Amino acid sequence: MSEIEINSPVTGTVWKVERAVGDQLQQGDVIMILESMKMEIPVEAETAGTLEKIHVAPEDPVNEGQRLCVVRS
Amino acid sequence: MDDLQESAFPELSFRQAESKKMGGPAAIARQHEAGRLTIRERIDKLVDADSFREVGALAGTGSYDANNRLVSVIPAPYVAGLAKIDGRPVALGGEDFTVRGGTTFGSTRRKGGQGGFIEDLAFHYRIPLVNLIDGAGGSVTSLKRRGHSVFPGVHGFERSVQLLGLVPVASAVLGTAAGGPAGRAILSHFSVMVNDTSQIFAAGPPVVKRSLGQVIDKNDLGGTKIAVDTAGTIHNAATSEEDAIEQIRRFLSYMPANVWELPPVEESLDPIDRCEAQLATIVPEKRTQAYNMQRLVRMVCDKDSCFDLQPSYGKSVMTTLARLGGRPVGIIANNPMVYGGAMDVHSARKQIHFMELCDTFHIPLVFFVDVPGFMVGLKAEQEGTLREGMRAVCVAGKLRVPTITLVIRKCYGMAGMATCNKNDVDLKLAWPSAEWGSLPVEGGVAAAFRKDIMSAPDPTAREREIEAELKPFASPFRTAEAFAVEDIIDPRQTRPVLCEFIALAEQRLRTEVGLKPRYGVQP
Repeated sequence: MSEIEINSPVTGTVWKVERAVGDQLQQGDVIMILESMKMEIPVEAETAGTLEKIHVAPEDPVNEGQRLCVVRS
Repeated sequence: MDDLQESAFPELSFRQAESKKMGGPAAIARQHEAGRLTIRERIDKLVDADSFREVGALAGTGSYDANNRLVSVIPAPYVAGLAKIDGRPVALGGEDFTVRGGTTFGSTRRKGGQGGFIEDLAFHYRIPLVNLIDGAGGSVTSLKRRGHSVFPGVHGFERSVQLLGLVPVASAVLGTAAGGPAGRAILSHFSVMVNDTSQIFAAGPPVVKRSLGQVIDKNDLGGTKIAVDTAGTIHNAATSEEDAIEQIRRFLSYMPANVWELPPVEESLDPIDRCEAQLATIVPEKRTQAYNMQRLVRMVCDKDSCFDLQPSYGKSVMTTLARLGGRPVGIIANNPMVYGGAMDVHSARKQIHFMELCDTFHIPLVFFVDVPGFMVGLKAEQEGTLREGMRAVCVAGKLRVPTITLVIRKCYGMAGMATCNKNDVDLKLAWPSAEWGSLPVEGGVAAAFRKDIMSAPDPTAREREIEAELKPFASPFRTAEAFAVEDIIDPRQTRPVLCEFIALAEQRLRTEVGLKPRYGVQP
């Protein structure tokens, strides 16, 4: 059992949050989508687990490396 | 057996035992408390079991009693020799930090660590060199001992520089490296340092405070966050010394022993005709949607064969050593998740190093292309993106190693040029999702048809109209008709196609072993 912090790969904006706290995730599931440089960037679950925390909301600006969410696997 | 040796040569046995004590139990304990291994422990973890043949174990400073009998020996603060890594010979050495912090012991002949014996050994036998760096470098104390000052690096770096064109050189920064050791860490093809316990900088906090009045902690100045992630000074970060050492072993496994050999081919247990169904759908229909290029690359290459160089730096491109059908390849893949894959000053620099590395050691290159062009905007211009990007184009243009360009999606502009090797058979393959040109239709129409658009009753509609008119001509299939791209392939066929061309490359590589001289001035 471990907690995995998912950080933003880029500086941009949170566009859509696709999943909710408590959701069961499979590896590769899209948790949220960021927008940066006119590109839609999916933030995926690296491993299967439960979505424990979401630190951001749609329209929030995010910096590269900023904490986005936590998955407990 | 040992008893026999001991009784026959007691002085030899005694001196060898003294050498193994390093700086003594207290110093060794301090090293461990700081979360660091001793040099002998590091060597043990790096090399194949029982393969270390030490050279110069007897070097050091002896102390003698009133009758000139040997009492003890403080070993030289450097341990070096020959060993095997995965059955292949390497030269290796590193500072013994438990002896006077790894600083020089002042003999005229250095064991290594700066144009010393171990660099000569690697050179004369044409074998890879591994530096296990844990020393602070030059010290003003040598001024008093020597009685005069000398030019910096006077018997020093020229051999390290020379080795870079001859044999693979790998460095692990396992302590606080400043000055000479820091410089030497960088004179390598692959370098790695450890989170929290290693630092590297031109000069440490005391000198920085003295020169600039800047007060800064050594990790904040030169830890992995700065040296690896931000500046790319060191290529990779490791979570522990064991991890750093393992990364060096991994790096060497793709490299030949020297430039006169081809990279080692392994037997591949991964079938060459493995076609992943997911490759057909991994690129989204919507062109503004990013996808996971790293996953794409790993579906194509031999399973578990990918080793990323500089994964945390210049992230709009990924540079990865991998295998296709057991043969080492260098993968350069744009990352659409970072700035849409646009090339900035950091990714250009990262790509340049990787291209030169693969070119020098006869490792064929495969570009997985999805690049919209150079990064734009004020910050990009201030950083000199254009110049560094053109340097990448220049280096790509001088490559001698066989290259395959596989266009996954976008291939535009001068950054796109940096993915094609015109010296080679100019083999360009593409997926049906590919698109290319000087610039994309969208941006291009606004610029080229400005008058037409501005004078129209509804400019936005007119712009869309012209775009729709031109779009069909941008189809990759039209380019294929004109044979301006060699082929468009079913994405699921990517692995068998690439494996076949890479296997073919061996015929060519065998005729080009040896030195790869570089001419001309980089822009």
